[in-house]
Amino acid sequence: MNENELIKLIIQGEREKFGIFVEKYQQLVFRTCMGFVHNKDDADDLTQDVFIQAYQSLPEFKMKSAFSTWLYRIAVNASLNKIRKSAGKSFIHRLESFFGSENQMTGQFPAFDTDDPENIIIKQEHSQWIQKALDSLPENQRTAIVLSKYDDLSQKEIAEIMNTTEGAVEALLQRAKKNLREKLSENVRGKNKK
Amino acid sequence: MNCQLCQENLDAYLGGGLPAGMMTQVESHLKTCDSCKRLSEIQLLANRVIRVEKETEVDPFLVTRVLANIERLDAAGFGNAPLGAGILRPALITLSLAAAVLFGIMLGNLSRPAGNAGKIPLELALINDASLESVDILSLE
Repeated sequence: MNENELIKLIIQGEREKFGIFVEKYQQLVFRTCMGFVHNKDDADDLTQDVFIQAYQSLPEFKMKSAFSTWLYRIAVNASLNKIRKSAGKSFIHRLESFFGSENQMTGQFPAFDTDDPENIIIKQEHSQWIQKALDSLPENQRTAIVLSKYDDLSQKEIAEIMNTTEGAVEALLQRAKKNLREKLSENVRGKNKK
Repeated sequence: MNCQLCQENLDAYLGGGLPAGMMTQVESHLKTCDSCKRLSEIQLLANRVIRVEKETEVDPFLVTRVLANIERLDAAGFGNAPLGAGILRPALITLSLAAAVLFGIMLGNLSRPAGNAGKIPLELALINDASLESVDILSLE
């Protein structure tokens, strides 16, 4: 049974079959949300919201694009909405929750466990720059970079999700990388001055 | 190689996607330039942060949570309603509102006096205003 047939059955009332879609696409949606919010708990909640929204909007799915493309769009929009809503929250607070939840989940700071404590602090500080640099990108550049770096999608796939051309995605990615480089360089220069 | 060219190629260099000649040029520049070397370290760190976030596993109970939520929403009348429900529901709400307004008007009318005609004494009702004496006559007296 293909996805479109499955969707028809779900619309007709076999809602438990929606679990097949959740099972199949949960990691994909979660990864995208994680790229925007950088926090496991928030990404879990967002992933759940995305699937509920997808279920409710299923009758509106025209089946002209792949289900995954449609799901990516919902995930990107939900993540951007979430970010806009929490824009008032302090960045430091969000970083604290990010590091806090990561430590709770894995029992160690990501991949820095072999370093000495001083190094860990320095690298955590650098990670904050990286997060800050990513979060400061304009929405469309941020979307393109998340879909490229977190979901490993091709420019063609990103263009379909963002409803634009491949050329525009290429330009967005180039601008995003340039902006990131500039922001990181500023930090490097700032650090060197100290 | 200058810093700008080095930085433009850093991403590809760290990903191992540069041609051998370019790879060597970036490598030798990084050995001599502290700020580019530092930037490459941070970029490497950025890739690690992204990799860690990518590898984070989703809540293992997500499927159960989602299905429970959509079941609850369906029970509350939100999910995928049968065909026609999209029109039927707003129509029913409108009708209920109209009925409530009508009932309110009827209830209001019940508490209002039926009419003034029966309450006015006959002698007052029959008074002809035109035949009343003018107030001026009374003031002259």
